[in-house]
Parts: sequence; C-alpha cells; structure tokens
Amino acid sequence: MNGLAGFFRSLNRNKAILLMVLPGALWFLIFSYIPMAGAVIAFKEYRVSRHGFIDSVISSAWVGLDNFKFLFSTNDAWIITRNTLLYNVVFIVIGLVAAVAMAIVLSEIASKRMSKLYQTGMFMPYFLSWVIVGYFAFSFLSLDKGLLNQALRGIGLDPVNWYSDPTYWPFILVFISLWKAIGYNSVVYLASILGIDRSLYEAAMIDGANKWQQIKNITIPMLTPLMTILTLLAIGKIFYADFGLFYQVPRDSGALYSVTNVIDTYVYRGLKTTGEFGMVTAAGLYQSLVGFILVITSNWIVGRVNKDNTLF
Amino acid sequence: MKKRSTRKAGALALVLTAALAVTACGSNNASGGEGDAEKPVNLIWYTIGAPQKDTDKVMAEVNKYTAEKIGATVTMKQIDFGDYNQKMGVMAASGEPMDILFTASWAFDYVQNARKGAFMEIDDLLQTHGKGIVETLDPAFLEGSKVDGHNYGVPANKELPAQSVWRFNKQQLDQLGMDYKQATTLESLEPFLKAGKEKLPGVLGLKIDTNFTPTVPYDYLIQNLPIAVALNGDSSKIVNVLETPEMKQALETMHKYYKAGYISPEAATITSTSDLDKTGKWLIDRADTQPLADNTWSASLGYPIVSTPASESIVYNWSVMGSLQAISANSEYPEKAMEFLNLLNTDAKLRNLIDSGIEGTHYKLTGDNRMENLPESKNYDMPTFSLGNVMLTYLNPGDPDDKWEQFKQFNEQGRPSPALGFNFDTSKVSTELASLQNVKAEVWAPLMTGTVDPAAYLPRAIEKMKAAGLDKIIAEAQAQYDAWKATQK
Repeated sequence: MNGLAGFFRSLNRNKAILLMVLPGALWFLIFSYIPMAGAVIAFKEYRVSRHGFIDSVISSAWVGLDNFKFLFSTNDAWIITRNTLLYNVVFIVIGLVAAVAMAIVLSEIASKRMSKLYQTGMFMPYFLSWVIVGYFAFSFLSLDKGLLNQALRGIGLDPVNWYSDPTYWPFILVFISLWKAIGYNSVVYLASILGIDRSLYEAAMIDGANKWQQIKNITIPMLTPLMTILTLLAIGKIFYADFGLFYQVPRDSGALYSVTNVIDTYVYRGLKTTGEFGMVTAAGLYQSLVGFILVITSNWIVGRVNKDNTLF
Repeated sequence: MKKRSTRKAGALALVLTAALAVTACGSNNASGGEGDAEKPVNLIWYTIGAPQKDTDKVMAEVNKYTAEKIGATVTMKQIDFGDYNQKMGVMAASGEPMDILFTASWAFDYVQNARKGAFMEIDDLLQTHGKGIVETLDPAFLEGSKVDGHNYGVPANKELPAQSVWRFNKQQLDQLGMDYKQATTLESLEPFLKAGKEKLPGVLGLKIDTNFTPTVPYDYLIQNLPIAVALNGDSSKIVNVLETPEMKQALETMHKYYKAGYISPEAATITSTSDLDKTGKWLIDRADTQPLADNTWSASLGYPIVSTPASESIVYNWSVMGSLQAISANSEYPEKAMEFLNLLNTDAKLRNLIDSGIEGTHYKLTGDNRMENLPESKNYDMPTFSLGNVMLTYLNPGDPDDKWEQFKQFNEQGRPSPALGFNFDTSKVSTELASLQNVKAEVWAPLMTGTVDPAAYLPRAIEKMKAAGLDKIIAEAQAQYDAWKATQK
C-alpha cells in the first residue's frame, strides 16, 4: 500500500509534466504499441472470418516461418538487401556531411535576410511529394523531350536512354535524395549551432584562432552529440528504403531494377496483386527486427567510446 | 482541488481504455430483424468509380423507392478506380461493416478474395431471394463465375466474350489510301506501318504503352504471368507462354517494329498514351471491343475510328468476371442485400435511377427507352458496366434500336476457352508467386514492347523466371487443372 500511495504522490507532484507527456504517450500506445500485437499475423495465413478483425486473426492458421520465405528465396534477395543497405549507408554519410557543412555555411552568412532566403529555398523540396519529384526528374531525363538529352544533342552527342541504362542511377538517386533532404536536415543542425555560447568564439578569436580553427575546435565538437543521435536514429531505419524515391523517380522501369530494387519495392511488386497480409506483415517485422538489432549494437558501440553521446 | 483532478484523470484514462477496447474488439450484432417499408434496414454498398457530387441526392430517391419495394435503404460509398484494390483490401481484411461490394477479375480480385473469405457464398440466396437474376442472366455468367463450385458474386449482364481489335485512326489511314480490313495478325500490320512511316511524318505507327502484350492464342491463368492454356490444339497442358512458338514470333516482330521506329522508344516505361489520343498523331493501336465500339471510340476521342478483329472472340474467366457485385462475408442483412441486387438487375426504373440519376434533373426521356443527358449529368456520371444488368439501361442518342440485340448476338458468338471455369488456387505457391511477380515486373515490359532483342533477352528472362519458381507454379497449376478436368463432363 505504501508503495502505491508513494506512486500516487509522485504522480500528483509531477502532474503538469505528465499531462504534457500524455498526448505523445497515447499516440505511441495507440499507433505503435497496440498494433505490435498484429505482428502475430506474420506467422499466420490470414483469412477473413465474418466476425471481424480480431476473430480473423485468431481463426487463421499458423504457418510458422513460411511467410518470410519469399524475402530470401531468389537471387533478388541479395540484390534488394545490398541496394537497401548501401544506398542508406551512402545517404547517411553524405547526408550528414552535407547537412553539417551547409548548416555551418548558413550560420556564417552575415546578412540575416539572405541566410533566411537560402534556408527557405533549400527547405522547399522537402515538402514535395515523390510523385512530383519523379516528374521533375522526368522533365530532365525524358528520351526525346528531356532537358539533358536536348543539351547533349545541342553539343553534338548522342542522346541517352536514361530510363533503360542502370549505370547512371546510383548517382541520380543519391543526388535527388540529397537535394530533397538537405534543407530539412541542415536546419536542425543550424538551430543547434545558433545555440552555442558565443563567448566561446570570442575567446577563440582573442586567442587568434581563424575561422577554420573555430569550426574545427568549437562548432563540430559542440555538434557531435546531435550528430551521433541523429545518425543512430537513421541507422534504425537502415532496412527501410524510401519507397517513393525508388519507385516513382525511376518510373518503375524494369531495366533499372538491378540498381533500384529495394526491400520495399520488392515487397510491393510481389504482393500488390495477391495482397497476402501475412507476407506483408512478415516483411515489415523483418525490417523492424534488423533495424532494432542495428540500433542496439551501434548504441552499444557509441557507449564504449563516449557514454554521454548514447541514445539511451 | 488536487484530489479531484487526479480522480478526473483516472476517470479519463478509464474511458479511454474502454473506448479502445470497444474499437479494438469491434461489435458484430447477430443478423437483425427484417426490415419493411415502415422500418427499412440500411445496406452499405461499396462500388467503384469517382465519388459524384450528387450521389446523396440520387440515393435519397433510390431509398424512397427501395424502402417501399423491398424494405431496405442503401448507403452508396464510391472509391475511385486507382484506389479500389488497396482500400477494399484493407477494409475487407479488417472487417469494416459492409453489405454489398463491387469486385471483378481486374479490381479487388474476385477469385482470390472469394477464397480468402471476403465474400458470402450465395448459392442458396440466389434461389431464395435472387430468382430474377437467375432468370435474366445468360447462364454462362453464373456458371463461369463459380469459384470451387460456388457462386460468390452476381455478374453484370453485359458483353460475355473478349475480343481484341486493331483500331485505325481513320484521318491518318485515309491519307494512305489502304484498306484496314487487310489487317489481321501482328505481322499483317507491316505494310500499314511502313507506309505510315514514309508518308506521315510525326505520326506514331503502333501506339502502345508499358501494359502492352502481343495477342497470342493462349488463356492466361493469372493475368500477365506466362502460365497459360492453349486455346487451339492441345489444351490439356499448362504451358509457359514465353516458350511457345507464337509468342517467340510475336516478340521478334515487335522488336523488328521497334527497330524500324514504328513503336515509341519509350514504350516500355510510359504508362499512358493519352497525349497521343488528344493530338491524334497515331495510326494503329489495339483495344478490346464490344458491339458499337467504333461509335463509342469515335465519340470519346473526337475523331473517327475504324477497327478490325485482331483475335478470336473467346469467353474467358476474366471476361465473365468483368464486373460483379458480391455480398460481404460480414453482411448483417444478406437476404435484403440479395433482394436489392435482384431488383437492381431486373427493375429498369431502379437501374436507370442509379445509373443516370433523377429524371428531369440529370437526364430527360426522349422515347420509351431512350434518354438524353441534361447539363446536370456532369454531377452524376457513373461507370455503367459496374452497376449490374447493362441491358436495362436506356439508350443514348445515336444508339441503334437493336443495341441490346447486338450484345446478345456478340455474346452468342464467343467460343468458351478450354479453361473456362477453372480457377487456379495460388495459396500453395504464394512464395514463388511473389518472386515471380518481381521478375515479371523486371523483364516483361521491355520484351513485350519490342524494346529489347528477344534472341538474347528471352532465354535470360525464362531462366530468371525458372529461378523464381515458375516450374513449381506450373506443376501445381497442372495438378489442379487435371483434377478440375476430371470433374468436368
């Protein structure tokens, strides 16, 4: 009883803060924790019963790991895993370097108005849907009317059939992904840079440090905790590919699959006609599980280097 | 004060948990009392097509009529063509309340969802509450839409067989002065395409997009997967279409046309050719026909179209299952739902009300069974084929008096495919099927549009499909097909 009373007392004492947590906690409960129970569908052959969803789940037959087989059964398994991992690693590394660099440049621009203008301009692509970005890309890469091919023709070169030649796509995809995300990511770092105590820079200047030394010895060390946390979070999603980027932008062109097929597009193409819920759930569970393991491992490694920078 | 707010929070938490429990478990009442004109029951009806502005207005009229006739009202919910598959898939799987829903071979797959348990079996209901349907429909419809020996949906009375035609853009054709009746096979198009290339600069010879597959005399068991039965000759074997001489020849011809510039270099990736439809800068394409199709096409494109057969007229599973209304497995009022479907397929007044809207508002009658759209009809424009018996609908201006006679004749001409009535149960090979779908997405369009050389590419494609498990799928299909054949006759 004493423990319970103590619990209620601390509940009462912290009620303002707890109330602030409540909406977020409820959101997670409803949209993340309760649906987790649905992961059981990954091990069942889901069939509809006439007594609603819960009953359907209960009455469907257990099939063990059968639903996971399609992810590993062909040569494509290697291609999609490789593509998903490599692209995400490249996105994380280049994205981090570019976003931090851009944030530092923006913070050094003297004119506040110009700085805001550049920020907004870079932020814009983040709000575009991939379908629209896909058409932007098409207007550059279309075989007969695309800007790039017209330029090639203009200087007397042969036009390229972009949508059937896989060699260029790793670069195109990285470029487009970077273009779309850099504005958003650099604003996060910019906010952190603006929060750094100015007196540190003043002291450094009095000691005769130049701009580069200031960045290297003050800005980047101050940003390191944020960089680690954002990177850890990104690693948790390393097995999820951005569906729009890999499906809409290459216009679902079969000739490009060797470099554009990722786990998400593979699952979509394989199951869009049959709609086997068990197999879709299995794919999702597999992605989350690998992400979970990777986050725990990398968090542990970060903890070995510096306890303060870990996620939890 | 402090105490009370804690209690309040506690109460709030309780309410929230209770609400969650209720929504999570869902509540499914046992089938309720039967409705009558005084207290009609309400049916929830999901159907395909863009939601219309005046749907509620029209449904209010419909409900007045049906409440009196069968003691039921209907709430119609429309889902647009592009979203229908996905949205219905989730709603049916999660047990969303619904009574009637649209299904077809090409939208919310009828056979697969019948097997997954999404629809109610209606063999008995048809006899007890759906007599009118049984009497009106060509028996081939109900026979051909059986899944494992049972009916799960009411097919719309419409064109029964499917037949491909070559469509010619008459404006361009007239400049060549050639006879379009000479076109039969894919190969026979060459003189037209050659002359077009020479005399009609800027006009595309053969208008195709990424969905194009050359017509070959095989019945595909699953759309666009190369597992099929021959329409002519030995129809007892399931074959890989890509290995048949007909397909090999067709692919070589397509590649020849591609190299000659008769086909768009982007054919393998473009999903629509509506820009060409607008400009009219094309000579030939292929389409599925029905009676009076030339008139319909000419009217919708705005320039004259003529067509000539590209294939035999065949009754396939997928053509029989082109449009069905099914009763949901979780329907609370299956009898009323069947009575409503019965009325929809036999009662001209109800059928036209749902199809064309309110007389005097959306259309006006110009004869016994002839109508003309009024300007308001733009607020209520429904896909006629999806809403039951087409042959009850009023004729449009320009339709000949014997329009429905022509449909009946067209239906009689169709020859049944040897696999008509056989539905491949894919549940044992779903792993292989998912892999095969991926290989298909990769190799199909470049081959079928002639973009790549079949001499080099076809063997590779076949090999990839075999690696994905095509042989196992064919073997499973063959076993089921043999078992099915044994039950026939």
